[in-house]
Amino acid sequence: MGKSRQCAESCVDYLALELVHHYRTQLQGPSLQAALDAVGERAGRQLAERCARDRAPLLEQLEAVKFICKEFWGEVFRKAVDNLRTNHRGTFVLRDTQFRWLVRLSQNQMPAQLGQPLPAPAAKADLAADFLLLPCALVRGALAQLGWDAAVTADAASLPQVDFTVVMRQQVQR
Amino acid sequence: MGCMTFYIFNRKGRCQYYHEWQRLKPIKQGAGSQDEDFKLMFGLCWSMRALATAVDPKNPSKQQMGAPMRIGDGCSFNSIKTSNFKLHYLESPSGLKFVLTTDPTVGSMVEQLQYIYASLFVELVAKNPLYTPGDAFLFEPFSAALNKYMRTLGLLS
Repeated sequence: MGKSRQCAESCVDYLALELVHHYRTQLQGPSLQAALDAVGERAGRQLAERCARDRAPLLEQLEAVKFICKEFWGEVFRKAVDNLRTNHRGTFVLRDTQFRWLVRLSQNQMPAQLGQPLPAPAAKADLAADFLLLPCALVRGALAQLGWDAAVTADAASLPQVDFTVVMRQQVQR
Repeated sequence: MGCMTFYIFNRKGRCQYYHEWQRLKPIKQGAGSQDEDFKLMFGLCWSMRALATAVDPKNPSKQQMGAPMRIGDGCSFNSIKTSNFKLHYLESPSGLKFVLTTDPTVGSMVEQLQYIYASLFVELVAKNPLYTPGDAFLFEPFSAALNKYMRTLGLLS
């Protein structure tokens, strides 16, 4: 096995930002949601495959989610999930108190032209919504690769803390 | 109080960020309006850089006007000291110009400006998803971090 190739974390940060800006502004082609979902799921599958390469197969739902919280999160978001809650009926809430991809998000207070009124303060959750599409798709893809079909949504009401809600649907036949 | 004003200009001359801690002479008596002040400040830095490159007795290569250069390459002035204030200047490789005016008694601020660029601007502004490169900005975390840094340097009480 050759040396693992690495790339600076800044590259991943900038790429993620630019993906959102690019798909927001282009007039033809897939919509922002569709594009980021597709990209994220594919990347999530491959990342999960890489992370889980040398491990025993994860047969339990909870085991798969714990793998996502620790190893997968560590590889992709550079830290582990801080808090995991479940209702033992297929719904899990993964809480990351310092979500690194969005820790620098802050609204621009500058008006478009000097002299114009300040922009209205927007809820951080709304500003962050587009930037959470890719992480959700990554988690969805990773779970799919591990054999679980799930719906993933994110809630960024109190940035930099982000809550990811995973609702498991059913186990996919491999 | 040591630090007075702080500007960030982009490559095209647009002032992206301006902060003043202490400006005893109001702009009306100086440049006339905020816009004029920005234009004059940018013009000063541009001309100084061009002059310095022109009279430079050391570096033989000819630099093109407006082309981005590595920090330290070519000829760029570091500071201008007058009897009332000292103007510190840093130009990033991407053409961003950081201008800080302080008391004349302050020493060299080259490393401090580097820190402001690398650890404050890049981390808090360039990596902010809501920042559009080239536009004027006002981000609370950046302003707070800048004030905090000035305080640790002892330039802001």
